[in-house]
Amino acid sequence: MPTAPTFPEDKQINDVDDLIRSFERLGYVTDRALATAVYLVIKLGKPLLIEGHAGLGKTEVAKVLAAMLGTRLIRLQCYEGLDVNSAIYEWNYQKQLLAIKIEEKIERTVEEKEKHIFSKEFLLERPLLQSILAEDASPVLLIDEIDRADEAFEAFLLELLSDFQITVPEMGTIKAKHVPYVILTSNRTRELSDALKRRCLYHWIDFPSFEKEMKIVRAKLPGIEEQLGSQVVRFVQTVRQLDLAKPPGVTETLDCAQSAMSLGKHRLDVQTVEETLGCVAKSMEDGAKLKAAGIEKMLS
Amino acid sequence: MPQVEPDRAAASIVQFCQFARDNGLSNGVGQTLTALEAAKSIVLADRQVFALALRAVLSSSKEQWDLFSKIFERFWSHSQNASGPDSKEGKELRFNAPRPGASSRALLGLSGSDASPSERGGKAVSGASAQHRLQKVDLADVPHDDLLALEQISMRLFRKMSLRLARRRKIRNLAERVDVRRTIRRSIPGGGDPIVLAFRARKPRKHKLVIFLDVSGSMNSYSLFLVRFAYALQKYFKSVNTFLFSTNVVEITDLLRTRDLPDALGGLSQRAAGWAGGTKIGDSLRDFNRQYARRLLSPNTVFVILSDGWDTGEPELLAGELRNTRRRVRQLIWLNPLLGLEEYAPVTRGMSAALPHVDVFAAAHNLESLLALERYL
Repeated sequence: MPTAPTFPEDKQINDVDDLIRSFERLGYVTDRALATAVYLVIKLGKPLLIEGHAGLGKTEVAKVLAAMLGTRLIRLQCYEGLDVNSAIYEWNYQKQLLAIKIEEKIERTVEEKEKHIFSKEFLLERPLLQSILAEDASPVLLIDEIDRADEAFEAFLLELLSDFQITVPEMGTIKAKHVPYVILTSNRTRELSDALKRRCLYHWIDFPSFEKEMKIVRAKLPGIEEQLGSQVVRFVQTVRQLDLAKPPGVTETLDCAQSAMSLGKHRLDVQTVEETLGCVAKSMEDGAKLKAAGIEKMLS
Repeated sequence: MPQVEPDRAAASIVQFCQFARDNGLSNGVGQTLTALEAAKSIVLADRQVFALALRAVLSSSKEQWDLFSKIFERFWSHSQNASGPDSKEGKELRFNAPRPGASSRALLGLSGSDASPSERGGKAVSGASAQHRLQKVDLADVPHDDLLALEQISMRLFRKMSLRLARRRKIRNLAERVDVRRTIRRSIPGGGDPIVLAFRARKPRKHKLVIFLDVSGSMNSYSLFLVRFAYALQKYFKSVNTFLFSTNVVEITDLLRTRDLPDALGGLSQRAAGWAGGTKIGDSLRDFNRQYARRLLSPNTVFVILSDGWDTGEPELLAGELRNTRRRVRQLIWLNPLLGLEEYAPVTRGMSAALPHVDVFAAAHNLESLLALERYL
C-alpha cells in the first residue's frame, strides 16, 4: 500500500454493528459477514472482491457505501474487449486536430505545441483515472463484473490497485491524492488471477435466508402486505431449489412481489405466478422447468 | 480465543495464517500482514467478527470461503484446550498438517486416501518419455495406474494448445485500422497534417464452438477425455457450448463453466440420461437443430461431433440433419476414435451417409490425435 494518500474521517463508523445500522438506514439489509468485510475496506483501505450469483445486491454494496460515506461513486462496467482507452483515459482527437490547425499561424516551437495538445485540456478521463484524480475525498470505485474483462486488463488493474497511480506517457505519472475505496464484483464466469485475488478481501454473497429476504422485501417495498410478501419469498426460495439455469436472485423476488402488487393481488396464486413468470424464470427452458415442477405444489 | 495481550494475539494470528495455508487456503505473507492489520481495527473480544474478518482476508474463492469455518474452529479450539502454552499446540498442529503439495491437490478436488503414492506417481510420469508414451496410447486402453497421469498431461497440453491458438490469431491480422492517436503524434512535426499514418491491428475475432459429444456405450472410454478437451478449449473460443447425446440431447455447458473440473465431471453423470446406452445420432441432431440451433449456430461457429458413427437410427435422417447443420455453420468437424484403428474404414451405414456433409473427418483416439486438431480450429 502506498503511504501518502489519506483517508477521510470514518464518519462515525466505530464498529461493525454501526455499519450494519448505517446500511439499514440507507435501505440495504446486510449480515455481519458482509458488514465486517466492508468495515475492513474502510479501515484498511483494501479492495473488496464480492462474488456470487447475479441479482443478490453485489453492485448495490458499492452504491450504499458511497451514500454512507457521502462520496462519489465511480463505476466501471467491465465487458469483453474492454481496453485501456475506455477504462482509463483517451485523448480528444478531434479537439487536438482543431487545435493544431488553429495554432498553425501562431509562432511556437513544435515542443510547445506538442505540450499544449497533450495537456489536461485534451484528456478525456475515464473511470479509473477519475477515481485517482479525486480532489476532495476518497471516492468509491466500483469495478463491476470483472470476470467479463480479459486477463490483460486484469493484469493492468493489479498494477493500479497496488500503487494507485497511472502513467500517461505524454504527461507523466499521476498519483492518487485520496486512495479510492475499491469494490470489485464477479459472477464467477471465469477464474480470476491469484495475484488479483490475493490483493483483495473476499466476500461470497449467498442467497439470503427467509428472514433476511423478508427484511429486504419490507425495506424495498414498504407498502407490501405481510402475507403477500412472505408468500412471494417462500415461493422464490422454493424455486431456487430447482436446478434452473439461472436461479432467481433477490432482484427477482422484488420484481415478482412488485408485479403482484401492481396487479392488485393480495395473495399469490397459480394464475398470478403464470402471468408474471418472466419475473422469476429468465429463459424459456427455465420457464418450462418451473411449470413442470408444479407451481401449485410450490405455492402450498 | 485470541489473547488480550497484543503480542500474543499477534503471534497466534500468524500461526493461524500458517495453519490455514497448510490446510488448503492459498494465503501468502501479504495476507498475514493484512490479517494483523485487520485484527487491530476490530474488537478482538467479539469472536464472530474476528472470524468473519479473518475469513474476508484469508480466503479468495467460494471453496476456501466454505472451508474457512472448519479450519478456524479446529485451530482455535485446539489452542483453547492447551490453556497455557497454546503456541506449542499450534506448532504441533502445523507439523501434523498435510504437506503443501497434498493440500493443493485437495484444492484441485483430487483428494483421496492414497494421496501421497499417487502424487509421487504423477510427478514421476511427467518426465518426457512417459509423456511421450501416454500421448500415443489409445484412450480406451489406458492402464488404470496411468489414468491420473494422463489426465494431468492432457489438461496441460490442452491448455497449451488453446494458448497457442490464441497467439497465432493475434499475429495474423496485422494493421487494419488507423490509430488516430499515434497518427496525430506523428503529424505534429509536419504542422498537423497527418501524412504518416499509424495503424492498429484488429483485435482477433473469436469463433464460437459447439461440441456434440457421443456418450453411448461404444464411446464410453473416450467420452471423459473429450469432455476435458472441451473444457480446455473454452478459453480460446468466444463461447463453447457442449452437448451430450446418445438417444437424446443434454446440454452440459453450464457444468463446464466452472474451474473445478472434477466436480463438474461428478455432476455430469447425474445429468446424462441414457449415458452408455444406444446411439441415435440423427434423432439427437434433429432435437438439437430444433431446440438450440437458432440460438447457437451462426457462420461464426465451428461444430464438432465426436462419435464413432455406430448409429441405430435412419441414415437418411442423419444425412438430412447434418446437411441442415452444415448450412448454418462455418465448419463441421467429425472426430471418430475408431479412425485410429488400422483396419477401420468408415463404411457403417450411418458414417457413409454422413461423410459427404462433413468438412473434416479425423481421428480422436489418443491425446496426440486430439492435439493435432489444432490445425483445423
